[in-house]
Amino acid sequence: MEFASNITIAAIFQQVLVGLSRTTILFIVASGLSLVLGVLRIPNVAHGSLYMIGAFLAYTIATLFGGGTAGFWLALIIAPLGVALISFIAERGLFCHLYEREHLMLLLFTFSFTLVFGDLVKLVWGSDYRSLSAPVFMQGSFSIFDLPFPRYNLFLLVIGPLVALGLWFLTNKTKIGKIARAAAVDREMVGAVGINVSRVFAAVFVIGCFLAGLGGALVAPTQNITQGMDHAIIIEAFLIVIIGGLGNMWGALLGALIFGLTDSMGILLWPQFAIVFPYIAVIIVLLFRPKGLLKSTW
Amino acid sequence: MKKLSWITVCFAVVLAVLLAGVPANAAKTIKVGIVDCYSGPASTYTNDVRDAFKLAVDKINADGGVLGRKIEFTTRDSKFKVDIGLSAAKELIMRENVDILMGTINSSLALAISQLAKKEKIPFLVTFSKSAKITGAKGHRYVFSFTENSAMAGKAGAAGLAKKPYTKYWIAGDDYEYGHAIADGVWNNLKKMKPGVKLLGQSWWKVGEPDFTPYITAILAAKPDAVIIATGGRDCVPFLKAAKTTGFNEKVPFYMHTATELSTLKPLGLNAPEGVIGTSNYFFYYPETKENRAFVDKFKAAYNRYPAVGAVYGFMAADFIKKAYEKAGKINTEKFINALEGLTVSTPVGEVTMRAYDHQAMLPMFMGTTKKAKGYDFLIATDIVIIPGKEVMPSIKEIKKARGK
Repeated sequence: MEFASNITIAAIFQQVLVGLSRTTILFIVASGLSLVLGVLRIPNVAHGSLYMIGAFLAYTIATLFGGGTAGFWLALIIAPLGVALISFIAERGLFCHLYEREHLMLLLFTFSFTLVFGDLVKLVWGSDYRSLSAPVFMQGSFSIFDLPFPRYNLFLLVIGPLVALGLWFLTNKTKIGKIARAAAVDREMVGAVGINVSRVFAAVFVIGCFLAGLGGALVAPTQNITQGMDHAIIIEAFLIVIIGGLGNMWGALLGALIFGLTDSMGILLWPQFAIVFPYIAVIIVLLFRPKGLLKSTW
Repeated sequence: MKKLSWITVCFAVVLAVLLAGVPANAAKTIKVGIVDCYSGPASTYTNDVRDAFKLAVDKINADGGVLGRKIEFTTRDSKFKVDIGLSAAKELIMRENVDILMGTINSSLALAISQLAKKEKIPFLVTFSKSAKITGAKGHRYVFSFTENSAMAGKAGAAGLAKKPYTKYWIAGDDYEYGHAIADGVWNNLKKMKPGVKLLGQSWWKVGEPDFTPYITAILAAKPDAVIIATGGRDCVPFLKAAKTTGFNEKVPFYMHTATELSTLKPLGLNAPEGVIGTSNYFFYYPETKENRAFVDKFKAAYNRYPAVGAVYGFMAADFIKKAYEKAGKINTEKFINALEGLTVSTPVGEVTMRAYDHQAMLPMFMGTTKKAKGYDFLIATDIVIIPGKEVMPSIKEIKKARGK
């Protein structure tokens, strides 16, 4: 067993930055999942499918507008909105009738949606790889301490805090956020004071799914858009939500940080066995805090 | 009464169909059953095998068939799953009574069908799986490979890289059999050919890794002269994309087997990275021979796309089947196998011989570098070097050793 020869302070710093940009994607997807889980009590397995649809939609929109810089920005805005629209239809048509059911039923129900969405994607986009490229000025890399850092990852580092800030504002400073937090604690009481809980739930569900779509659109330029990306992300997103504390948004941020950083640092420190690092971190967290790091809303 | 007669009629029709079906099948055709993955990303590669095979078979049948018999083939989708593919192969043997089995891109499935073929004594022609075990450690009388494998790729990659001025290497790849087989193959041969080379380190990611960026930045931090990327199948395209996004190819040159193949480069269009070194069995634009041009024109006229490497495997397999039966002189499995051993057939990449000892087609390998070119909306390989079949084949001594003899 030989250790890598590339461990320097600069390399560690660079790898932390790369890990943080991965954290951004994980946080955006996991926070949406956590929001729906916390307020609506739905363990939405189809969240990953919406992420995949977000990526495919981003590809289609960007290609429709010629694949240039303008197309990329439009895709980044329209694709998550498209996903939000799909989730709005699903919520009003189906989910809103099922809130009183037990969790196992909801789990099975959303699982069936992953299959439906998976096949829909296959029907619409086929089984080939799709590829979306970042705008020209975000391609390539620039040097930090003489080591290359991908430009697109820097863009992700800017987006991450913005989304976190937006979510904080939404849940703490807006009326709907406050109602949603109250409804998460006691749904009947909120209904009793004369608030239309159903409408609030719809809004929260749509926001959560919007985040899945946003994650998908953001990740599209860094990887190939293909079937199966739904399964990969949903496992990670659930693990993040579990170690962070079910339904706790800041828990999702903490979980994403742990997951993203152990992943990237593992790759630098022990590249042959890097795959296991995030999962070991999950096991350690659950050994000491079985209910997650932060307070769960469940 | 009326009702009863309806049922009778239906019965009669069903019986008639069944009866008609039996003699039609028995009527002197050579039946080929193909099991392969036709759904999901792998179909990028497998569709070309099937389409080119059909093209060749149609031509053979139009010219009067083989020994007066027509070749007929059916396909089954394995969905990249071993259990589904294996039961499809059984079904083809038991119910369709196929004379020959063909396929598949999934190595585990290829090895499973190979065992079945050995038991049932049905020839199995492997058209895409790159596991060296098929004609190596697990080879037997009834299995033939019409594609290069990880041992051949390893030799070819090493032969090409030994000519380049790099000494400090990093190895990274898919953490499963194919990845390790390619990496070991290239590295062990390279060490022999160029003793000065040094391995700085290795990284292994899971198959289907969604984000290669942290791996790439960690590799670049080690400042190697060149990197050997041992990734295959569905991960090739995503990796090339990540290489382009991060600017990996501009910082350090890297070698990836199959990187220059059309199936890998086409999905990325002009967004594929330039300067990547790759090896492949075939390019539609190379070698620039009459045979290759004729093949490309025929394929393009039929399917309105350029043939990728799989097309050569499929096309060649059909020709080998025809020539082997003609050499055998009759439709008989054992005679067919004897005839196939050592048979030489002219293909779009020149003359190819089926080595008698291990049933491995001696295919040449082409090493090239990706580059944008006029007239194509995808990258092509340039500076192509031919590594002849004889040089890339594992020696018979190595095969004997692998089989424990």
